[in-house]
Amino acid sequence: MKLELKNVQKSFGEKEVLKGISFSVESGKAFGLLGRNGAGKTTTIRILMEVFAADGGQVLIDGAPVDYRKTGIGYLPEERGLYPKKKIVDQLIYFARLHGMKRQEATEAVDYWLGRLDMMEYRNKRLNTLSKGNQQKIQLITAIAHDPDIVILDEPFSGLDPVNAMLLKDVVREEIDKGKIVLFSSHQMNYIEEFCDSIAILNKGTLALCGEIHEIKRNYVRDKLVVRSESADAIADALGGCCTKRGNGELLIQLEAEEAKRGMMEQLTKTFDIDEIRVFEPSLNDIFVEYAGDHDEGEKA
Amino acid sequence: MKQFGTILDFELKNYFKNRLFVGITIFLAAVIAVIMFFPRVMSMIEDGGAKTEESEADGTTAEGNEANGTTAEGSEADGQTKGMILLSVGDMPNAEALRQALNAAFLNYEVCLTDDDLDAIQKKVIAEAAACAFVMDSPTSYTYYVNNLSIYDDNTAVVNEVLSNVNSLNALMAAGLTAEEAEGVLSVEISNETVSLGKDQMQNFFYTYIMIFSLYLVILLYGQMVATNVATEKSSRAMELLVTSAKPTSMMFGKVIASCLAGFVQLLVVFGSAILFYNLNKEWWGDNMIVESIFGMPMDLFVFMLIFFVLGFFIYAFLFGAIGSLASKVEDINTSSMPLTLLFVAGFMIVMFSMQGGDVDSLLMRICSYVPFTSPMAMFTRIAMSTVPFYEILLSILILIASVVGVGVVSAKIYRVGVLLYGTKPKLGSIFQAMRKA
Repeated sequence: MKLELKNVQKSFGEKEVLKGISFSVESGKAFGLLGRNGAGKTTTIRILMEVFAADGGQVLIDGAPVDYRKTGIGYLPEERGLYPKKKIVDQLIYFARLHGMKRQEATEAVDYWLGRLDMMEYRNKRLNTLSKGNQQKIQLITAIAHDPDIVILDEPFSGLDPVNAMLLKDVVREEIDKGKIVLFSSHQMNYIEEFCDSIAILNKGTLALCGEIHEIKRNYVRDKLVVRSESADAIADALGGCCTKRGNGELLIQLEAEEAKRGMMEQLTKTFDIDEIRVFEPSLNDIFVEYAGDHDEGEKA
Repeated sequence: MKQFGTILDFELKNYFKNRLFVGITIFLAAVIAVIMFFPRVMSMIEDGGAKTEESEADGTTAEGNEANGTTAEGSEADGQTKGMILLSVGDMPNAEALRQALNAAFLNYEVCLTDDDLDAIQKKVIAEAAACAFVMDSPTSYTYYVNNLSIYDDNTAVVNEVLSNVNSLNALMAAGLTAEEAEGVLSVEISNETVSLGKDQMQNFFYTYIMIFSLYLVILLYGQMVATNVATEKSSRAMELLVTSAKPTSMMFGKVIASCLAGFVQLLVVFGSAILFYNLNKEWWGDNMIVESIFGMPMDLFVFMLIFFVLGFFIYAFLFGAIGSLASKVEDINTSSMPLTLLFVAGFMIVMFSMQGGDVDSLLMRICSYVPFTSPMAMFTRIAMSTVPFYEILLSILILIASVVGVGVVSAKIYRVGVLLYGTKPKLGSIFQAMRKA
């Protein structure tokens, strides 16, 4: 199965929220939908789930418009919330049934997932008696209990302790292995890097970057050097504006061109006492900051 | 359709599992039971009391003829329980005849002639030594003195009638009739019979009143419940998941129909228990006209009541649902539902005033019986209390059905747009704009 978004556009009143978004994901893969707050991620997800229609563009499954009666979608929204005063099992069955399951099927699926997530003891409790992390696990069940083809997880790891995060990681991996399309939206880049093969970075409604993570990293221009040295200050003084100090005391040197790196390395090792010098390889975080960041504001500052 | 069923099932269970809902229903049924058993219990208590009195009386007779003293005491006691009314006649003739006539009119009081001056009379009234006082200025005019004038005080009316009678009697006697002849002339009894060829407003008034009032209460109560229900889902963010799981039309119709059914069950319990307990206690209610008219509601009227009840309920519940979807917090509902509530109360007032004024076929009522927001109350009132041609009723119902469908669809659209709007209250213009796109 292949999910495709083609040139999806959406405006609310005068405000253009999505200015032509395209990407595609295949079964058994996880896809990271990244972007700053207000970049258009939730709108993209809502169009994908037919909460409202796009003004232009298409959402396709295997090349044909999505038939929502046949394609199951599970969603864990960033804004968590269920019925605080209702019994957990009742509301989980309710949501599974809303997604088309029969009562018996729904009960079995809910019980399976309550067991899988170590939540069986809370089955008949009211939701508001649970801790935040446990409430989140309950909410996760609403996204996966009906065995959907596409699972959309918005900030799934926020608020989870390391043990629960590990449990969730296992569940996500199982879902991917079952051949589902998993769509991640998160600001925790380490999780995205761990699960996702491809990412799309949205910036103010446009697609700033899209592709496979290792491709993106490989194609990244290798025109920066990282230097660790006792005489960092002296190096910074000598190089002037092209040199910035990183949080861990390392220096990041912006070269004029990729070819200049060898010359700069030689020059620095000759002149200064260098502990370590290497070509800068961006983390996903760095890529995100570069593509999702507000460049206009940066220039003004 | 399947989703609608699931939602209806879930929402209905919410009502029936709600302790407040169950509690109120049981409480109402209990109140009805108490009211319906009241005359039976009262008559049992009275019977019991009468029996003990009888047996006590038997006891005294058995003890012998010393009872004379007790009787005197008894009559004294009676004198004490009877209040006193002072009558000052000055030097008018026939004072004793007037006193007797008044005494006969005021059964619970002893009317006493007095020669006291005005000051003394007033003091007695203030000190409550006398219940009130009548000071005659002439045979046709008097002053009434009373300490606190109750709003239900009709003593002057009683005295007016007595005086009018006495004066007529005196006039007839002066004209040469004997006292018996004059009394015969004055006490002629007139008999009459009324045959209503259309509706008897007197008889229909009570159940129309009850129906309109129930409609008013149920719509406001359940309308607010629907609005609160939607706003709670929105504020707890369960909505985020709901809108991605179910169609807004299914959500809206599921919620509204569930609340309608819940309201209906509640009414059924209340009216059902009323009918049941009334039939259990029918003989004790005797020929109480009001109660008999309520329970003697004709079947066709009952069917109309159901139709207008359900349609009226729907039209308002849909709008309340839409209002709930536009509120960000549950607290906002009271203010945002104000215009709708006012519209409804205005309709209710028009109908109530027309009913009490007896003119249910006024132009205003005719107009109101076709306007969908007022027709459930106005048309039903007209059917119950006047004679309305069938085509008019049919037209009103058809307009109402079309409006319910229209309002339902529009409300579902507002709902779809509204539930995703958080923060500031959206402007009407932006809602319509978003609805067109939705």
